[in-house]
Amino acid sequence: MTLAWFANFGALLVMPVVLMGVIGRVKSRWSGRKGPPILQLAYDLQRLARKRPTYSTTTTVVFRVAPHLFLVTSLCSGAIAPLLGSRPIVSFPFDFVWFAYIWAFGRVALMLAALDVGSSFEGMGAAREAVFSSILEPALFLVMGALSFLGGHRALHKIATLRLQAGAPPAVWLLAIAALLIALQVETSRMPVDDPSTHLELTMVHEVMVLDHSGPDLAAIQLGSAIKVFVGCSVIATLLNPWAGSAGLLCGAANLGLCVAVAAFLGTVESLVARLKLRAVPQYIAVALACGGVALLATIWRAGGPK
Amino acid sequence: MTVFFLLSVPVLLVGAGLTLALRSNRARALAALASQAVATLLVLMSLLPTLRGQAALEVVWPWPSPIHSIAFRVDALGAFFLAWSLPMTCLGTLYAVGYLQRYFREGRNGGWHFALLNLVCLSFVLIYSVQNSLVFLLGWEIAAVAAWLLVIWDYGNQKIRFAGFNYLVSTHIGLFVLVAAFMLLHSETRSMDFVSFGRFLSRPTPLRGTIFLLLGVSFALKSAFFPFHTWLPRAHAAAPAHVSALMSGVIHKAGLFAFLRFTLLMGKPEEWMGWSVLCFGLLSAFFGIIYTTTQRDLKRLLGYSSTENVGIAAIGFGIGYLGWAWGVPALLVCGFAGGLLHILNHALFKCLLFYGAGSVYRATHTVDIERLGGLAKRLPVTATLFLIGALAIAALPPLNGFVSELLVYSALLSGRAPTGQANILLIAFAAVLAFVGAVSALSMTRAFGLAFLGSPRDATVHEGEEAPASMWLPMALHALGVLAFGLVPQLALGAISPTLELFALGHDSSAARATVAPLVLANPLLALGLATAGGLAWYLGRSARRSPTWGCGYTAISPRMQYTGSSFSEHFIRLFETFLPSARRERLPEEVFPQQASHLGTHHFDAVERRTFEMLRQAEDLIAHASERIPEQSRFAFAAGLVALVIIGALVLGATGP
Repeated sequence: MTLAWFANFGALLVMPVVLMGVIGRVKSRWSGRKGPPILQLAYDLQRLARKRPTYSTTTTVVFRVAPHLFLVTSLCSGAIAPLLGSRPIVSFPFDFVWFAYIWAFGRVALMLAALDVGSSFEGMGAAREAVFSSILEPALFLVMGALSFLGGHRALHKIATLRLQAGAPPAVWLLAIAALLIALQVETSRMPVDDPSTHLELTMVHEVMVLDHSGPDLAAIQLGSAIKVFVGCSVIATLLNPWAGSAGLLCGAANLGLCVAVAAFLGTVESLVARLKLRAVPQYIAVALACGGVALLATIWRAGGPK
Repeated sequence: MTVFFLLSVPVLLVGAGLTLALRSNRARALAALASQAVATLLVLMSLLPTLRGQAALEVVWPWPSPIHSIAFRVDALGAFFLAWSLPMTCLGTLYAVGYLQRYFREGRNGGWHFALLNLVCLSFVLIYSVQNSLVFLLGWEIAAVAAWLLVIWDYGNQKIRFAGFNYLVSTHIGLFVLVAAFMLLHSETRSMDFVSFGRFLSRPTPLRGTIFLLLGVSFALKSAFFPFHTWLPRAHAAAPAHVSALMSGVIHKAGLFAFLRFTLLMGKPEEWMGWSVLCFGLLSAFFGIIYTTTQRDLKRLLGYSSTENVGIAAIGFGIGYLGWAWGVPALLVCGFAGGLLHILNHALFKCLLFYGAGSVYRATHTVDIERLGGLAKRLPVTATLFLIGALAIAALPPLNGFVSELLVYSALLSGRAPTGQANILLIAFAAVLAFVGAVSALSMTRAFGLAFLGSPRDATVHEGEEAPASMWLPMALHALGVLAFGLVPQLALGAISPTLELFALGHDSSAARATVAPLVLANPLLALGLATAGGLAWYLGRSARRSPTWGCGYTAISPRMQYTGSSFSEHFIRLFETFLPSARRERLPEEVFPQQASHLGTHHFDAVERRTFEMLRQAEDLIAHASERIPEQSRFAFAAGLVALVIIGALVLGATGP
């Protein structure tokens, strides 16, 4: 039990860096470059942590504190997610509601920090982030509600261990994965929703919100975002993992492997697809909403009743 | 004990009399505060056993015919509402002392205002305890008229008089519907007593549904549910901040109280009632919250958010109804627990936010968020407290709003409904609630971020000072409540548990406790994490360099270039423009070198209000047209007179007949 706890904790510390490295590598490979080392994020964080931050004269304490609050909410969500495909560090009934709302807390903190600098760009990013999340949130609840109803479970890690063998209609399972992938792209600002490597303020979402952060604050935001990528990947990986829920070494290894695979998939999509026009992004998120809705309707034909 | 309770009525009346008789505003305020504090203490003392879950407090007053007797009975439900309504009104009165100072300096007499606040307290004592429909109506009317007079404090302003009149008319339409329901009940039971109403309502008669709908509409008007909300944003924008706070947070909770009171009288509801309450709540929550995104007046924004929050409470009650009708105790308990707790939570953070808005108004003489900005530096106390309220109303953990919403979610997502279709519908409703939560985060970020952060947008805005202690103390106490109920959720559950027992009907109410139990550990731990990280960041950031905000290479930055409220919500409004109509006034530049200045203005109006006024005008035209024709042609006049005569004759004969 304690071993599993430490394994989860270790994964939470190491894997975010690795996954970001994987995404970077995959993108480089697609464009014919060698690419940065897998642990590039760790070097970046180290470099940023040593720096002294600069604050705008307009800002208040909100700006200083927000990045670190964001990091804490990301870490807390990592405590709930089935990082290794089985029991997470903490788990309780309806923890996925808590999960969704602490991500919202982190988002609100960053949005407030963005408005705090009083620039004309950062408000733009904050407004976009708020709009996208308002459409995404119902999609997440539709998917989680459908899966929870299907399996009769209420805790995130048990909801995510639903497998085809359990008599679930494959449609629900597939649609849930599709919706969660879109959710992952939106929440972690990947292509085709947002381009993390662009430098045109007018078209950015997440990056434009954190323009004025520097030093350890920027490090906190980067680490927090990386943790969110890992946490999101792990939920999808658990859905895909055939041994999920068994708490063995095999299950954990498979889950981490699948996380890397999902991250590689994200990188591939990012290399092959152009960023959507901002006006089209809500439509893309609406696809997730539709997937969630159809998944929910498909649960009518489920095998066996709720437990 | 009952003596203490009844004593509160004369205490409040004497206090009100004193405020009118005394000479200085300071003495008047003291009289009001003292009498309210004494009355609150008296009531709370007499209700202690009831609040602990013991027997209800009962008194019967003999009264001349035709009323015979007036019964007072404070059960756990009434005690729950009294227990926070009276202290919060008292805090509101304290706030008024600071808020109205500006007017007092100009020589305004505050006596009436304070006396009316005492009457509001009196109306609570009546409404929450009485068992007789006539006295109930009396209390209802005292609250409505007192609130109207409180709203039009600035009666010199025509807009404020209009908003007040609008409120007065709306609340009386609700009163008529309520009277109609009571008359129906009276004609069936030959009694004005709630107990006999209850005996009639618990039988499945065809009239039961009609009465349920009449009562529902009346209470929905009182609590400003969509589409009966149109008076609310106007009234809240016009009223002094403490009056807005008390109306939104406390006085209009009487509508929800009356709904719960009649639920208890009615007993087991039918399934369609549950669905209609649920859908009604959902509509209110949805429309209330999307309207907040268009508002530039901070107090109007908070007003719409009240519609959203009573909607969330009604969603809880709707599931409670369904659980009751289906015989699923877990749904019943979690639904009612979520709804009850949300009422209390809303009172806490909505009063806090309105007080914050009042403090902003006092300092800047405006609540237009497009003109504000950077207030956090000038009003640090207000900003901190407002932020706590804003985060709580967006239902973010670890604050109290999340606790009640989790209870509602747990009922919606439990999968315990008897049929698959019902379960799927409930899960879809949970998704709508998630949307409401996310939009409320957007709205509150917008409100706080634009008003308090960044730099001041308008140099012409008045630069006043921070609120005095009489204003920030009530705010701080409310914020303390928000924090306490969030960090110690068992406290919140303890506050509602005796009331919950009334609805749980002997069923085990452990489902609600089980839902909240994980938060007992999770919320404080999250708070600890946040506080540690925040504190550390604040400490380490002290030595940081300071420089102006980066302007992407542009050097002539001005505060006017900041993101504004309308640009912040523009994308969202475009997505939902079907529901959020706007009027555009523009003169765009025409030639290559425009000779005339051009301008562009957008204004968002309330679609329901606009449509109501249109319909009223059409009806007025129709009647005017018809009434013009009647005197023109004697045949019409003769026919109309004959019809009227026949109706009157029929009524007279009907009344004297067997």
